[in-house]
Amino acid sequence: MRVTSNTFPNLLAGQLEQLSQRQNRLQNQAATGQRIQLPEDDPTAMRRILDLQTEAVGISQYRENIQRLQEYSQVSYGSIRALKGLVDKAGEIATNVDDLESPDARQAYATDVTGLIEQALQNVNAQHRGDYLFSGTRSDVPPYVAVRDSNGRVVSVTYQGNNELASAEIAENVTVSTMTLGENTTGSGPRGLISDSRAGADFFNHLVSLRDNLLAGNKTAIRTTNLQELGQDEDNFLVHFGNVGAVQARLEAAESISRTRSQSVEVLVSKEADADLAQTLVRLSETQNAYQAALQSGGTILNQSLLDYIR
Amino acid sequence: MLGLFGTLNMGARSLQTQQQGVEVAGHNLANVNNPAYARQRIQIQSSQTVPDAVGPQGTGAENVAIQQVRNALVDRQLFGEISVTGLLESEQQAYQYAQANLGQRIDRSASGAEGAAAAEGVGGQNGIAEYLNGMFASWQSLSTNPTSSAERQVLLLKAQSLTTQFNQVDQRLTNLRGALNNAVQNDTIKVNNLLTEIAELNEKIINTENGSPGFANDLRDTRIERIESLAKLVDIQTIELNNGSVNITLDGNLVVDDQNVLDTVESYDDGTGRQFTRLQTSGTNLSLAGGTIAGAITARDGGVQSLQDGLNELAALVISEVNSLHQGGFSQTGSTGETFFTGTTAADIRVNNVLLNDPSLVQASGDATAVGNNTVALQIAQLASKRHATLSGQTFGQTYGQIVAGLGQNLNVVNDSLSNQKIVETMIRRQRDSISGVSLDEEMTDLLRFQRAYQASAKLISTVDEMLEIVMSLKR
Repeated sequence: MRVTSNTFPNLLAGQLEQLSQRQNRLQNQAATGQRIQLPEDDPTAMRRILDLQTEAVGISQYRENIQRLQEYSQVSYGSIRALKGLVDKAGEIATNVDDLESPDARQAYATDVTGLIEQALQNVNAQHRGDYLFSGTRSDVPPYVAVRDSNGRVVSVTYQGNNELASAEIAENVTVSTMTLGENTTGSGPRGLISDSRAGADFFNHLVSLRDNLLAGNKTAIRTTNLQELGQDEDNFLVHFGNVGAVQARLEAAESISRTRSQSVEVLVSKEADADLAQTLVRLSETQNAYQAALQSGGTILNQSLLDYIR
Repeated sequence: MLGLFGTLNMGARSLQTQQQGVEVAGHNLANVNNPAYARQRIQIQSSQTVPDAVGPQGTGAENVAIQQVRNALVDRQLFGEISVTGLLESEQQAYQYAQANLGQRIDRSASGAEGAAAAEGVGGQNGIAEYLNGMFASWQSLSTNPTSSAERQVLLLKAQSLTTQFNQVDQRLTNLRGALNNAVQNDTIKVNNLLTEIAELNEKIINTENGSPGFANDLRDTRIERIESLAKLVDIQTIELNNGSVNITLDGNLVVDDQNVLDTVESYDDGTGRQFTRLQTSGTNLSLAGGTIAGAITARDGGVQSLQDGLNELAALVISEVNSLHQGGFSQTGSTGETFFTGTTAADIRVNNVLLNDPSLVQASGDATAVGNNTVALQIAQLASKRHATLSGQTFGQTYGQIVAGLGQNLNVVNDSLSNQKIVETMIRRQRDSISGVSLDEEMTDLLRFQRAYQASAKLISTVDEMLEIVMSLKR
């Protein structure tokens, strides 16, 4: 092939351009640590990365959901524990009633029970982030309002909530509810905390009955009825303890699974997107050497001319 | 015998011949860096002989022509390759713009509010994918806390980011398609100018070469350069005629015949806002397979169009699916029936202003009397992982991934084709260079050759002069 004056410069320019492009690409990979940045770099890997990103965002959101549910569950747990404390105290009073002969002592106990009723009302109407905990999904209204007599004593309570629970996702199509209903007298569905027809629980009315029996000095009723009723209430609280515990265990397990999934998605994205740094740097250095060699050899050839040898 | 005066004349002719040789070498040297230039060679021939007693006697040499060294086949091959390169370069540019417009990239070190995915170590930045994920994640958050006005506010902001991104990308792609239409129009004007120039050069070449010896080499070089420029814009066929002119055919239609432009090219709107090309006089629609015009049309109606269509389809489904659930839900005030998004496509998707003005009106509840009910929020959040029959059984995210990968694939294929094409074009250019290119070494050698011959011819004249002087001194 005949070689002309522009053959060398054109060839050299083309080679240098190619080497520059390669250097640029490798340098970019080394600097960002990524093999892929734009869709054109590797369309199929880009697609897989986008899918993995969606999955990662989903998992991260599930973890957030789990945290919120855990927080809600812990707050509910606190209230249920306080209610359990109240039923214990009421049980003690009912048990001690046999020893009380003086009306004054009974009156004092009745006052204690009145206090317990008010505390229970306060506990069951607890709020978290502005929502009532035990109203079902009618979380904007307090679950219980008290009906009081002329002395301001609670004679009965009315449940304002509904018997519906809201649940949230903790994994794809896996929903969990950490809500506890205040009352369910339908005989089906989730168990009510204060009042549940299946468990025979009706904490407020049982406390009111205890108080009234104390005031009336009706020890037999307290012994035969109230103690048994409070026992049912206590059992019901214990069932709720169990439920909350089970949900919390489930949430912890889900959180741990999500964390593991999150890590493995990260590994998968890394495999797709990250550059092998060692390989990249070796190739970059190779390309730099080639670039220098091209410049040097090109410079030597371009400098030589017949003009150097003729007068 | 020529006699002394005849020999003197021969010397003078020889001087002229060698001098012209030096001039041609000088012309070649001057054009060494002119890419359209083909090296020229002086054609030296023995002068006519004179009869002599010993037979016909030579009378020296003379120049008969200055010829350029070209290979028409290589030139024609190069026109074809230039057209293919033009097509691919124009497509590549369009797809690169589309890729930039889409704004979807992986940046695993991104930080800030939108770098949430990056913070999780999976990359992602400010593309539709991130906003789509962000919006559905916000629905999830709202489902865990349906009465929270903060969550509602965040949801609306995320949804607005998504709609803004849809709007912007769609607008940019519309602008890109507009720019590609403009490119078709502008290139059409350039094509017509080049056709006129080539016809004019044909005329000049015919006039110069007609009846006179030699070739209009430099005009031919200029014509080749113009034809190459034309080939970059449209794929052409060339036919070289004996009279020195080159006829140009476009998609099988003769448009330049000798010095006449038979037809010009015009761009027209096919009624859908897309510019195509046709012949102005005959009205024949052109179906171009190469050149930047074809590249712009291919990219506009191919990858860019399907990108925009894909985004529109996605946006339309996001709107209809979210709205149909949202409309059945209830707000914090118990109101119902409001849409979440307005609009029907990526161009006009917006978050309903009614909700933006009062986030409590987001209908997350499935029960008019229960504000803590989250069924609608949860159902909408679950749309993110739902497989939609209209999206070929894919989720929103997967569909978007497919759209992005589709564009990436288009660009990737064009990138590969173009780098292969450049190799082919470079090879043919080198081939042409090896035939027509100027070599300084050759020209310098020629220069020496002609210089020495010139010196020798001058010596001949001085020798004859001395001989004449001897003859003159005989009489004294």
